[in-house]
Amino acid sequence: MEFLTAHFVEIMFYTLAALTVASAVGVVAFRNPVHSAISLLASFLFVAALFVMRHAEFLAAVQVLVYAGGIMVLFLFVIMLVNVKRLDPEQVFLSGKAPAAVAAGVLLGALIAFGYLAGSLGPVGPGPEALRMVDGAVAGNTEAVGWLLYRQYLVPFEVVSVVLLVAMIGAIIFGRRDAGLEEGGGRMEQ
Amino acid sequence: MVQYVPIVLFTLVAVSFPIVTLLIAKAVRAGSPHPVKGEPYECGVPATTTAFETRFSIRYYLIAVLFVVFDVETIFLFPWAVMFEKLALFGFIEMMVFLAILLVGYVYAWRRGALEWA
Amino acid sequence: MIGATHYVILSLVLFVLGLIGVMVRRNFITVLMSLELIFNAANLNLIAFSDRLSDLSGQVFAIFIITVAAAEAAIGLGLIVALLRLKNTAALDEASEMGG
Repeated sequence: MEFLTAHFVEIMFYTLAALTVASAVGVVAFRNPVHSAISLLASFLFVAALFVMRHAEFLAAVQVLVYAGGIMVLFLFVIMLVNVKRLDPEQVFLSGKAPAAVAAGVLLGALIAFGYLAGSLGPVGPGPEALRMVDGAVAGNTEAVGWLLYRQYLVPFEVVSVVLLVAMIGAIIFGRRDAGLEEGGGRMEQ
Repeated sequence: MVQYVPIVLFTLVAVSFPIVTLLIAKAVRAGSPHPVKGEPYECGVPATTTAFETRFSIRYYLIAVLFVVFDVETIFLFPWAVMFEKLALFGFIEMMVFLAILLVGYVYAWRRGALEWA
Repeated sequence: MIGATHYVILSLVLFVLGLIGVMVRRNFITVLMSLELIFNAANLNLIAFSDRLSDLSGQVFAIFIITVAAAEAAIGLGLIVALLRLKNTAALDEASEMGG
């Protein structure tokens, strides 16, 4: 028990990291898209827990609300639209892709080396308290994010609404019945 | 970090409870499978297709997209609401511009009939 | 002691897993899910350095990335629905007529 409390952060990180990687492997490896989606959901939740460990409590809540609550619903709806049974099994899975796999491996090695250097040699900040400061006083992570987001990142915030608007309009246009998407470019009746 | 120990324990119990329950039920129950027991309705009209073979309406997808977009909007409303008093009038105007731009999309969806089921 | 390095390496593993998924899978839906893994890896990286530098900007950027990921999922899945209407399949190989 003493070992557990003394090394709580380490134990939690390695457990969560292993679970995240395992579920990410599941996303790529499962043949049934529903299984992939559930695996993706699990990896989102584990990443949210990792956010909490890095003092990003508000972001963890955002992760659960948007990813686990919103985007996963979208994915599962479309999987149901596509009709799971008709999705042909992928016979060519991982065959003839050896060059791509080697390239990905080399890239991973190079990125790990670079990430190690960046993560261990760069400057260090004053401490996690700074992530909760509002105007010099200690408040909460959500308050601090709001204070920064609505003052310093004003323009990006307004641009985000345009991004959301485009997503909404685009989805409606793609989903329209008379979008002129039938074979041969002919418009469907009505 | 140690203040999260109760949450971790809670999660472990919450995850293991249904698993243990299902395993115990699997060990204890009597098994007599019958194809009728697997039907969605045990009496009444026989099902012609399974749920997977019937395609869902595209409407569900549009509603889901609208849900996701307004879900993200809520994410931005939350830190604004928490800091409402400190951000004062400036923050209020800022958020109203944000909402006005999204309202354009809402009106578009409405006029396009994305919110109707017919 | 868990530092930013651990998180960076984890995020790189996630990124490459997502990359492998994008390159190897033929099913459009799974490709989009792998793309979400890549977004998650980017967020993890931002959060790791936000904590190391005690700079909140990383968290704000991560919120923007989550927003963009939501928009991307909405549009990408809209493309799947359109492809489904046009070709009656969700396999990416069927959508190669633009000559890629």
